[in-house]
Amino acid sequence: MRRAGWYLVTGAVAGFAGVLGFHIGGTAAPAVLGQPAPGELGTPSAGPGAAAVRARTVAGAVEQYGYGQLSVTVTVRGDRIVAVSVPVLHTMDPYSQQLARQVIPTLRSEVLAAHSAQIHGVSGATYTSEAYAQSIQSALDKLHVR
Amino acid sequence: MTAQPAPLTTHAEPVMGTVFSFTAVHGDLPADAVRAALAAACRVLHHCDALFSTWDPASPVSRFRRGEAALGQMPPEFAEVLRECRAAKEASGGWFDPWAMPGGFDPTGLVKGWAIERALEELRRAGLSGALINGGGDVAVFGSPAGGHRWRVGIRHPWRADALACVIEVGQGPVTEERGLEPAGGSGESPPRAGIAAVATSGPYERGAHLIDPATGRAASRAASATVTGPGLALADALATGVAVGGDEALPAVAGLDGYAAYLIRPDGSETDTGGIAFAP
Repeated sequence: MRRAGWYLVTGAVAGFAGVLGFHIGGTAAPAVLGQPAPGELGTPSAGPGAAAVRARTVAGAVEQYGYGQLSVTVTVRGDRIVAVSVPVLHTMDPYSQQLARQVIPTLRSEVLAAHSAQIHGVSGATYTSEAYAQSIQSALDKLHVR
Repeated sequence: MTAQPAPLTTHAEPVMGTVFSFTAVHGDLPADAVRAALAAACRVLHHCDALFSTWDPASPVSRFRRGEAALGQMPPEFAEVLRECRAAKEASGGWFDPWAMPGGFDPTGLVKGWAIERALEELRRAGLSGALINGGGDVAVFGSPAGGHRWRVGIRHPWRADALACVIEVGQGPVTEERGLEPAGGSGESPPRAGIAAVATSGPYERGAHLIDPATGRAASRAASATVTGPGLALADALATGVAVGGDEALPAVAGLDGYAAYLIRPDGSETDTGGIAFAP
């Protein structure tokens, strides 16, 4: 359901992934989006020359986590995150899915999908070196390295 | 590496079993000086790790825990961390207690934040116009990000690694106002953390084993996610651990501290905070 409306631009992203040394795609599903679908975009950056800045997308490998499998994809235009999505999210059981649906919307401003969030870092419980590779912070770091 | 001097340098350094992310805003500093400052900051982190790693059986802290080394034989940093631990235990109302950890005194819940403060101080002294260090989820900043304004720190969603629960704004402006930390000069005693703002988050979703209820000595958590902001990361780190263990009961202690604030996501998904946190709209 969440996959609806996503563009699959695997070729372009795979080329980019080579530069980043990032795993693209996954075993369970095509885990790549090139451009956020219309309506998923935040306000484009107002900075000078922003229009010339192409969106860049990286996707993490499909990983096991406590309740199933997931992969995370981050799209950045300039210094601005325009989309964060989960191309692959398989929970182990219907209960986890139900829980996720029920609990998450009670949070402040629902789930902030980082649309136009323009963040400089992510604070969270300490991740291991392995978990870092799948974190939003890791994607931010890779996208800043030129 | 690049021909043009970049206004921004980022760096990721594996240390302390996690990865530290750096964002350095050059200001007027040449790129090679920025790289030197980042290298110095990383050396600080590795030094702290060598002293305080409870994973390394040969580290000074491990030898202390086994009773093989007395206080007097410990490196000078140890006394400082001990002092900070005592202060943090008191400030947290007892919810953060390094002396109640399995296996003896364990300052891990504070040391990472303490080390980040010291690393950030290297960057500040070098003359950068701003910097952010994220040590595996604990964040400290000074100055301003590249575009000016304030630093924006996302708080990871406790149940979704890809999402944020909210965004918090931290940095110079409000911190300076609230804390009255005008540029040094007035008292002659320059506070080491002047202009630093910290965001620490703790929770059971990554590796919760360090969340120990001091009253029972057992793993316990009354929070899905606990975030503490304030002018120092050593204390914020310890307080976040305390709030993650104690939940609502630990909030009054944080609320009573000058400059510190807490944001709690309870296990049922409901939220509360002490006030004093600048949530981005």
